[in-house]
Amino acid sequence: MIERIAERNHGRHQRLDRVWSYKPGWGAFAAVNHTTIGLRFLVTGLIFFLVGGLLAMLIRTQLALPNQNIVSPALYNQLFTMHGTVMMFLFAIPVLEGAAMYLIPKMIGARDLVFPRLSALGYWCYLFGGLIIMSSLLLNIAPDAGWFMYTPLSSIEYSPGPGSDFWLIGITFVEISAISAGVELVVSILRTRTKGMSLNRMPVFCWYILAMAFMIIFGFPPLILGSILLELERAAGFIFFAVDGGGDPLLWQHLFWLFGHPEVYIIFLPAAGIVSTLIPVFAQRPLVGYRWIVLAIIVMGFISFGLWVHHMFTVGIPSLALAFFSVASMLVAIPTGIQIFAWLATLWSGHVKYSLPMLWIVGFLVVFVCGGFTGVMLALVPFNWQVHDTHFVVAHMHYVLVGGMMFPLVAGLYYWLPHVSGRMSSERLGRWGFWLFFIGFNLTFFIMHLTGLLGMPRRVYSYDAGLGWEWFNLISSIGGFITGIGVAVIILDIALHFRFGRKADRNPWNADTLEWATPMPVTTYNFASLPTIETRTPMWDRPDLPERIENGEFGLDEPRHDLRETWGSDAVTGELKEIVHLPANSWLPLLSASFIALMCICLLTKSYLLALPACLLAVGYLLQWSWHNGAHPIAAPFYDDEPYSPPLHSRTCDGPGRWGMIITMMANGTLYASLLFGWFYLWTAGPSWQAPDDGPISFWPLLASGGLLTICVLLYRQLVARLGRGESNGLERGLWLACLIGLVHFATLLWVLLAAPLQPTMSAHDSVLTVMLMYLLLHSGLAVILTGLQAVRVRIRYVGARAPYEPFVLRPFWSYTLGVFWISFAAFILLPMGWGGG
Amino acid sequence: MTGIASCLLLSACSGPLSSLDPAGPHAASAALLWWGMFGFFTVILLIVVALWLYAIKRDPGTVSDVEAQRTQNRWVLGGGLILPVVSITVILLVGIPVGRSMLPLPLESGQALRVDVQAHQWRWEVSYPDTDVGLTNELHIPAGKAVDLHLTTADVIHSFWVPRLAGKLDTMPGRTNILRIEADAPGTYHGQCAEFCGLEHTDMRFTVIAHEPATFDSWLKEKQNDD
Amino acid sequence: MTFERLKPGHPAHLVLGLVIWSVWFVLLYGGLSVACELAPPGAEQGALNWLNATLLVLGVFFFVMLLAGAYMSWRHAPSAESDQPQQRFLGRVAAAVYLFAAIASLAIAVPSLVMPPCL
Repeated sequence: MIERIAERNHGRHQRLDRVWSYKPGWGAFAAVNHTTIGLRFLVTGLIFFLVGGLLAMLIRTQLALPNQNIVSPALYNQLFTMHGTVMMFLFAIPVLEGAAMYLIPKMIGARDLVFPRLSALGYWCYLFGGLIIMSSLLLNIAPDAGWFMYTPLSSIEYSPGPGSDFWLIGITFVEISAISAGVELVVSILRTRTKGMSLNRMPVFCWYILAMAFMIIFGFPPLILGSILLELERAAGFIFFAVDGGGDPLLWQHLFWLFGHPEVYIIFLPAAGIVSTLIPVFAQRPLVGYRWIVLAIIVMGFISFGLWVHHMFTVGIPSLALAFFSVASMLVAIPTGIQIFAWLATLWSGHVKYSLPMLWIVGFLVVFVCGGFTGVMLALVPFNWQVHDTHFVVAHMHYVLVGGMMFPLVAGLYYWLPHVSGRMSSERLGRWGFWLFFIGFNLTFFIMHLTGLLGMPRRVYSYDAGLGWEWFNLISSIGGFITGIGVAVIILDIALHFRFGRKADRNPWNADTLEWATPMPVTTYNFASLPTIETRTPMWDRPDLPERIENGEFGLDEPRHDLRETWGSDAVTGELKEIVHLPANSWLPLLSASFIALMCICLLTKSYLLALPACLLAVGYLLQWSWHNGAHPIAAPFYDDEPYSPPLHSRTCDGPGRWGMIITMMANGTLYASLLFGWFYLWTAGPSWQAPDDGPISFWPLLASGGLLTICVLLYRQLVARLGRGESNGLERGLWLACLIGLVHFATLLWVLLAAPLQPTMSAHDSVLTVMLMYLLLHSGLAVILTGLQAVRVRIRYVGARAPYEPFVLRPFWSYTLGVFWISFAAFILLPMGWGGG
Repeated sequence: MTGIASCLLLSACSGPLSSLDPAGPHAASAALLWWGMFGFFTVILLIVVALWLYAIKRDPGTVSDVEAQRTQNRWVLGGGLILPVVSITVILLVGIPVGRSMLPLPLESGQALRVDVQAHQWRWEVSYPDTDVGLTNELHIPAGKAVDLHLTTADVIHSFWVPRLAGKLDTMPGRTNILRIEADAPGTYHGQCAEFCGLEHTDMRFTVIAHEPATFDSWLKEKQNDD
Repeated sequence: MTFERLKPGHPAHLVLGLVIWSVWFVLLYGGLSVACELAPPGAEQGALNWLNATLLVLGVFFFVMLLAGAYMSWRHAPSAESDQPQQRFLGRVAAAVYLFAAIASLAIAVPSLVMPPCL
């Protein structure tokens, strides 16, 4: 009997594995599965971490003694710029994204993230972008204006070399991966939780990641816009940040910190999620105050967007405005306090097992709380004026980031290691690693607070003897090297464990969450059948769950039609809505990312003629990617025995794709709002803003263009509404008509742009208008192309009454395009007219 | 014993650029804020860490859900809400008025002396309005009197900072920022650029020389006659 | 989004309180900056001027509005004995979010009591 079950399970495993695994050899480059991609993110991120750490060691060597000349000032500026950039953009965020990508589907009982090809695209963009940035270091032309790239220091006048371009283009490229991870994590968490996992039963880690993903959606676009504008200023002579012509360097600081501050919490939230996941497991007690924690997460997600000016307390903003930000900054102490004490309450009421991950959690507490306190100090304006831009801030920031991110990350690493390798690491070596790291870290940075208070500014390559800083710097350097040894021990421990580690039992920590219900090491498809959830701690309440999953007692236990399938469910209740069929291995993400990388390299080398074909090829591959959807043979062609209850997602009207589009439009809308902010900011606060009496854009043609767009979108919405009712006659004709009207609108808009006497290299006013018009054109053009493709797909029956999915995905894009058009019309044309000259 | 420790501490805190060795009212209140917050937060940090370690060590016996709920209410309400709210309120009640006192508000008696300071890559140009006195990397002020520095820049962003006298303020392209400084007693005070401004940022230092008010007036006159 | 769809218990209430807080924050900071650019009250008036007064009144308005939101969500959350843990969860968390947003809205406006606006 038992043998028969084992045999049956093995057969199921082989059938599922055939559908879910990637081809060996070169086929690994076509992999899209979240386990593979997540691990790649983690490993790549750790390699970048080592590079960033090496740069830090060089910095500490240079500063160990006064008046040293081990590195030149020019190189030193590259070192600290790259250290910050690498650690923030190429290590912290990608690694946490990778961890989330690896864990989330397993925690919510799904087989993959909802947009697997997007995971792969994100990874390649991250890797190529990271390599482009690193290459500048090898070529000795690395960015050297600080990781914050303040203008005018980073402008072409004061940084004529290509360093800043590497930063701006490379980082923007890398950010594609952050945005794509953000979108797919949101949609995955909201729409692909397994049966019965309502919001209140979701593992608390998912709440953290949901908040982080939304913060990426709203936090990254300001920097992306800022980078695009600064690169336009550097490469094409536009004016946004240069005072002559009407720009303002403060605009850059606003855009940068609008991203930069939320980013700290984008890094902290997933790490806190690890803490909230581990503490209940090691206390063997459900998290005390789940609702409090959820409250704290939501509050943190919002409040952290209201703090950015506390990085700008010394730029000369009215001090009442500073006080608003000071108060908001301190308010963050409340959700932090709630979490710290909810964790305390959990530990208080449980029997705590003091294993290695728990040691790192305690390390986290000490270091992070200390950093939090110096954070509250820094939020106090009069104190901030003294220590801003000194080593005190360097110390604070490392306490927060290393404490708030690195310590929980290593705790999580040790905790989930058996899940990846099936082996346990060495407790003894691990403890050595911890203590070396902990002592080294505190030695380096605790003393650095004092160095800062004694007046040592940041970003100085050397210092004189006699200022009272010698001993402190030496101690910091020694501590830095001890930290380095600690890192080496940890890496050694992890490397050795793959070979010598004791085989792990299933669910070795007796955890409560679903990721431990998978076989260890994990299979390509996670779960042989997708479990039904009744409580928040399924593994504690149903210890036989792994076995039952493997025996195929739950849903989707057999692959049908060779499709990769997972559940699609209601965002709130977790009731089943559809079967989501996921794309299998694909070369398109790698190809698209490669051509985007080529485009970036062309932009860097200023070979613009080559950049255009590279860009077109990338777009072509992305369109081909969109082609392999719906009822296309590569996706899910119509079958005779299709499951109707629940249906395949491509046969529905409100599938994950539409959600993905809406979330993407939120990010896009934030980018646009940042541009709008820039416009109003320069208008009201730019020191030498100038606007012509008559707007340069012809009013009536623009109005006509808007009228056409309105008609087009109304028609499109009408067509889609009919399709939703199952009426598809005349759909193709209707789509072509919408396409045609859209095209006329596009042509009119293009004419408006070309005919307008805009001089973007002369004034910031014209620069902003030009960017705005190009933004509108881009959207209209893309919408027309996508609608045309839909018309063709209707003709060849990939789309229709039976598969109405895709026109519904496209609808929010059209509505968005219409929305930004009229907002632009009001803000850039009507308002200046009403005001009397914009 | 305590005497020796505080002596060591105090001597460790002095230094030509030390913000903990204040020589002006603004720097003094900032240093006071530091010591107050440092003491307060050290105590809280020690308590929180001790609580955690005890919670890990202690044997709770069997805890029912009702008891866990009570623990939660006690800790989360007490530690997570009341503690931060009270701390923040106290800090802001003290801190905001202190911040206000550092602003270049109109004085009750007379006007603050105005000095123009323009930052360049990588030097400071100082000029005294209504005179033709111009100095480089050297600023003379009367001691015991409020001085308003009108800060501008000729190129990138810099930041004017004399740690022993007052906090720092950036020089922004296209703008004039006003920083009020005051030295308690005559003497030489060191300053430096605090905002990264390029290759020679490290060497962008300057000195502030405070005179007795009478000496300052004669210095200014003499200087003017020289030029 | 019609009003009907936003009745108590809708998951949007989990964030609506803080969305309103964000709008208020933008209004506060943006309004102050624009006002200081166009018609700055004199520094000698200190904190007693039309601008600070407006900001304070608005702060109180948002405070009261969000408090009402908290009360509504709290009242509509099913009791612990009900068999709707999910609705209870949504209602209670939403109420707490509104409450926090209310307090935060008032707190960020409080400095207007002492600080001169445009200096």
